[in-house]
Amino acid sequence: MKGFLYGVLPYIASTILVGGTIVRYAYFERNWTTKSSEFLSKRDSKWGNPLFHLGLLMAFGGHFVGVLVPKFVTEMGGTDEHTYHLMSLIGGIPAGILFLGGFWLLLKRRFAGSDRMKVNTSQLDRWLYLVLLITLASGMLGTLSNIPGAFDYRETISPWFRSVLMLHPDVSLMDEVPIVFQLHMVSWMLLAMLFPFTRLVHCLSLPFEYFWRRDIIYRRK
Amino acid sequence: MKIKAQISMVMNLDKCIGCHTCSIACKNVWTNRQGAEYMYFNNVETKPGTGYPKHWENQAKWKGGWELKDGKLQLRSGSKSERLLKLFYHPEQPEMDDYYEPWTYDYESLLSSKRKKHQPVARPRSLITQKRMEIKWGPNWEDDLADGESVRQDINLKNMAGEITMEFHDLFMKYLPRVCNHCLNPACVAACPSGAIYKREEDGVVLVSQDGCRGWRHCIPACPYKKVYFNWKTNKAEKCIFCFPRLENGLPTICTDTCVGRLRYMGVLLYDMDKVKEAASEPEAGNIYHSVLDILLDPHDPAVIEAARKEGIPANWLEAAQHSPVYRLIKEWKIALPLHAEYRTLPMVWYVPPLSPITRRMEADVYLPEVHDMRIPLAYLAELFGAGNTGVVAQSLQKLLDMRLVMRCQETGEEIPQRLAEDVVVYKDMYRLLAIAKYKDRCNIPAGISAKSQDKLRELQGTCGYNCPGGC
Repeated sequence: MKGFLYGVLPYIASTILVGGTIVRYAYFERNWTTKSSEFLSKRDSKWGNPLFHLGLLMAFGGHFVGVLVPKFVTEMGGTDEHTYHLMSLIGGIPAGILFLGGFWLLLKRRFAGSDRMKVNTSQLDRWLYLVLLITLASGMLGTLSNIPGAFDYRETISPWFRSVLMLHPDVSLMDEVPIVFQLHMVSWMLLAMLFPFTRLVHCLSLPFEYFWRRDIIYRRK
Repeated sequence: MKIKAQISMVMNLDKCIGCHTCSIACKNVWTNRQGAEYMYFNNVETKPGTGYPKHWENQAKWKGGWELKDGKLQLRSGSKSERLLKLFYHPEQPEMDDYYEPWTYDYESLLSSKRKKHQPVARPRSLITQKRMEIKWGPNWEDDLADGESVRQDINLKNMAGEITMEFHDLFMKYLPRVCNHCLNPACVAACPSGAIYKREEDGVVLVSQDGCRGWRHCIPACPYKKVYFNWKTNKAEKCIFCFPRLENGLPTICTDTCVGRLRYMGVLLYDMDKVKEAASEPEAGNIYHSVLDILLDPHDPAVIEAARKEGIPANWLEAAQHSPVYRLIKEWKIALPLHAEYRTLPMVWYVPPLSPITRRMEADVYLPEVHDMRIPLAYLAELFGAGNTGVVAQSLQKLLDMRLVMRCQETGEEIPQRLAEDVVVYKDMYRLLAIAKYKDRCNIPAGISAKSQDKLRELQGTCGYNCPGGC
């Protein structure tokens, strides 16, 4: 089972993530959208949406450092384990609060707000919100339960993730990982598989080109 | 000088009877589908009134269009970075209730009802939630001043210097049919973060690429006329497409075609693309009208013709520009005016302002009134069509009155007064175009952009081999 979850599933998930996204962009660009619901209801969107996205950016940054940067690199930089753990908590807990708080507001407006929101919520959206909730909650719970620092994910999960990236998965690294972190692992892989088929794709369309394009666009037929 | 061609429209408001045939034709052709039920690419408003969507003219609320900031033209919604922060939540984006919640009726209940003491009724049901609903507002709630209270909220009334109370003795109204203005300086295009909205080089039609649109929805508040809509089903923006499939075949838009008052005119204008920004940056809002007239070029001027040829404007388009009914109304006779020029988008749908009955106190004395004695206050028309400049509206109305005077003198044999601004022949031409012109005279659309490739094919005659038009 562990062999499948940590040796095979990551590759299935990333194949669906990359392949599905490419196929959707190439053949179904017409439905590539943020799926904005602000037109239907503005309620709770004012705070919920910016908070959620801000928390997401912070969490993403934290994960980038914690997962991709090997431990010996930060230690060479003079950050010992205790300092690193403290910094990750100082950054991670506020990020999680913003992220979850924003998400709670968004859940509220979508499922307990205006009736009109139903036309913006497909069955797949419901699954997406469930998996996203599990991912967020397990991540937050993992961080909180690990405040004493007994479990060092930078000696287990992060090397495993990098071994997956190197196409040489070391499943044994995941043997001693607490259940809440394991839940986090499985749910983000599910999320990656949902990604190409949901509104999440809009994060790939951040319109940076807007800054250097001219105001009025002329185009030939 | 960089010359572009623009398909433009003029509406002669004197002849609009507010029948909504244009809106219904447009709706049946373009927006009778889920997600678009609430959209009217073409709608007819009664003015005064708050309009569709409610208060669309109140730019303090929507921050639509452009403004001059330290002499520089900038979208009213702020700088690019300010606007990108609104990706997550856009405070100025209209909600469905600003338009109305679309509904249908439970017609089935009329057929399936059991025998009852009272007539069965078909109750309204929301097309969004599918639940029973109470109708509180509709696309045309203020038709013929129907909602007296909201009518008084018209921002143009508030902006007028004078006191208009809309009490019975000074009541007035007129109709205002509205489509996308296919502006020369469109704010929706400039506001789209994805660059999905563009102006077609060939005919100036402003379109939303349904592939490129990402649903960032910035075009909707940015358009000061609120003529870009959010489709809640596809989650992309949609707008009036000027019936471009018809234009390409040399036909006018469906709203023009079906207009029972025959008040719409369509044709080609040539303009200098290099000077668009300069014209939109005119410091005095009341003079924007004049600066737009300056960039509309005379299609008979040899230098213009030469430059247009160089730009690749096909011969049949140049010919259409020379016989363009809208050019005569806008530039030659100067009787058509742009709607809310102060938004600085340089709209390319123009309006001949309406004459109206004269006020009661004048009625007994004269046959034709002075422009200042009209029932619709000149200041009100100036808010709509003159960016507050009453002079340009008065000039247009005076010509319309003089045209009537000339035609009257012709019938009665009276002498035509000397004070007229134009030659008598001009008034007669004006009469012909405004009153009795046939379909072909009202609409002169050169057949298709494809005409260009035909020209290319002709150029290729006699050369060796077979090539693709445009060299593919």
